[in-house]
Amino acid sequence: MSAPAAVRRKPRKVEASTWILLAPWIVALLFFGVYPFGFSFVLSFFDYSPLSPDSARFLGLANYAEALRDPLFWKALGNTLLFVFGTIPFTTGLALLLALALDGAFRGRDLYRAGFFLPTVVSVVVISLVWKGLYSPEGPLSWLVRAFGGTPPSWLLDERTALPAIMAMDVWAASGYYMIIFLAGLKGIPVELHEAAALEGASRSDRFWHITLPLLAPTFLFVLVVNSIRSLQIFTEVFVMTRGGPLQSTLTSVFYLYEQAFYKFRLGYASSIAYLLFALTLVLAWLQVKWLKLEGPKS
Amino acid sequence: MSAHATGRRHDAIGGVPGFVPWLLLPALATMLVPFAWMVFLSLQPGAGGQLDASRIADAKFDLVHYRELLAAGAFPRYLLNSIVVALAVVFGNVLTGAMVGYALARKRFPGNRALTWGVIATLMVPKQVLMIPLYLVLARLGWLDTYAALILPFFVDAFSIFLVRQYVLALPAELEDAARVDGASELRIFATIVLPLLRPALAVVAINGFLLNWNSFLFPLIFTNSDALRTLPVGLALFAQGEHATDWGLLMAGSTVSVLPMLAAFLLFQRQILEGMTAGAEKG
Repeated sequence: MSAPAAVRRKPRKVEASTWILLAPWIVALLFFGVYPFGFSFVLSFFDYSPLSPDSARFLGLANYAEALRDPLFWKALGNTLLFVFGTIPFTTGLALLLALALDGAFRGRDLYRAGFFLPTVVSVVVISLVWKGLYSPEGPLSWLVRAFGGTPPSWLLDERTALPAIMAMDVWAASGYYMIIFLAGLKGIPVELHEAAALEGASRSDRFWHITLPLLAPTFLFVLVVNSIRSLQIFTEVFVMTRGGPLQSTLTSVFYLYEQAFYKFRLGYASSIAYLLFALTLVLAWLQVKWLKLEGPKS
Repeated sequence: MSAHATGRRHDAIGGVPGFVPWLLLPALATMLVPFAWMVFLSLQPGAGGQLDASRIADAKFDLVHYRELLAAGAFPRYLLNSIVVALAVVFGNVLTGAMVGYALARKRFPGNRALTWGVIATLMVPKQVLMIPLYLVLARLGWLDTYAALILPFFVDAFSIFLVRQYVLALPAELEDAARVDGASELRIFATIVLPLLRPALAVVAINGFLLNWNSFLFPLIFTNSDALRTLPVGLALFAQGEHATDWGLLMAGSTVSVLPMLAAFLLFQRQILEGMTAGAEKG
C-alpha cells in the first residue's frame, strides 16, 4: 500500500512482459488441454481408426449407445465401482485412525509417519510387481496361510479373489497418503476449542465426536473426492498384475478403454467410454459434496 | 508450529496413550515387510521363483541380479531415460510454474480469470479423457516415440502454476514496487527479485514434479514403442510380461534400483514432499 496507485498500475495497456510470462501456459493450455479435450469429445461421435484415418465416419450417438449395450463395458464399470466402494471405506477409516494415533507426540512418531507414507513415493509399477510376487502361488502370503494350517487361495489366479487381492494392496498403498491429509486437517483445529471443552468437563470421546469429527468434515470431503476420482482411473495395477483377467474379473474401465484404443484401435468408441467415465467422475464428486452438505472449505 | 504450541495442543487434546506406539508396531511392519522382501529377493542368487519358506534359513546373498541388469543393455537405458526425462520435465515445471504463477497472481490483464480457471479445470480433468486425443496430437506432430512426447506435454504443469500462484498471493509486493520505482524492467524484476523469493515454493514444485514424473506410467507407455525410449516404470512393467515374467530376482533388483532415488529424495526432502502433497487439501 506504500506506493501510489499510479506506480502500481500504469495505464490500462498490458505490458509485453506479462504476455511473455504467460506464454507457456497459453500454449500448453491450448495444445495439451483445450484442444485435446474438445477433440476427444468430437471423436466420440465418430468411427475412427488411426490405421485408416481417411475412412472416419460420423456416427452420432452410436458409440454411446454401443457402450451402454456392451456387456464388457458394464463388467468393467462394475469392477471399477466395486473397487471404489470396496476400498474407500477401509482406506479412509485406516487413514483417520493412523492420523489420530500419530497426531500426538511420542518417541519415534516421525519414523512411523514416514513408514506409512513410504508407498506414496514408490511407483505403482514397483508396488504392483512386489505384490504380484507376494501373491504368487509359491510366495510368502501362501506360506503364511499354510503355516496356520489353511489352504492358500490362488490369489490373482482365481476370478473370485483377484480383484479383492488388488483392492487390499491398494488400501495398503494409499492409506498413508490420506493419513497425511488428515494430519493436516487435525492441525487446523484450534486448540482453544479442546481447552474450553475440557474445562467444561467434556471427556476425550465427547471432544472427538463433537469437535474433532465435525471440524474434519472438509478434510473428509477432500479425501473422499480425491480418492474416488483416483480409484475410478485404476489402471497400472491391473496392467502389471492381471491384465484384466482371469475371466475379466479385474477388467477396469480405464483398462478396457486402453484395450479398445490401443489394441483394437477403436479410438472413437474409446473416446465415448472416456467421456462416460468423465461424467461419472463429475456426478460422484457432486454427490459427495451434496451428501456432506458442504459447498466448499469456506462454508 | 512451535514446540510450545505443539505441547499446548497435546495438553489440551490429551496426549497419546502409552500403548499406541506398540499397537502401531505390527502395522508399521506390514508397511515395511514388502519392501524388505523386494530387497531380499533381489539379492538371492539362482534363477526365478519366489523363495520357498524352507530355504529362507540358508539364504545366500549375491549381487548377481544387479550385474545381470547392468549387462542386459536395455535396463541402463531405461534408467538413463527416466533421469533425462524427469530432469527436463522438472526444469520446465519450475521455470514455467514461476513465470505463469507469478503473472497470474500479480498482473492485471484481460483473461486472467479464464487462464486461472484453466489451471483449476486442468487439475480436475481425469487423464483418461486426454489420453487418446493427446496421442493423436503427438502423432500428427510426428512426436510419437521421441523424447519430445515424454517431455513436452508435461513441461508446463498446472499444479506447479497453482502452487506458485498461491505462494505469490501471500507474498508482500513492496520489494517489487520499490524496484519498479527505481526503473527496473518487469522481466528484470521477475528474474532478480521475484525468483529468489520463490525458492521455497519452487523446491516443492521441483521435488514433487520429479516424484510424479519418475513414477509416471500410463502416458509414457502409450507414447513410446521402441525399447530405447522406455522409462523405468514402463520398461520394468513390460519386462515382467515377457520372458522374465517369473524371474523374480531380476525383477526385484530392477524394482530396487528404481526405488532407491525416490527413497533418497524422500529422506532428504520429506518436508517439501509433504508440503506439496497437502497443498491441494488446505485450499480445498
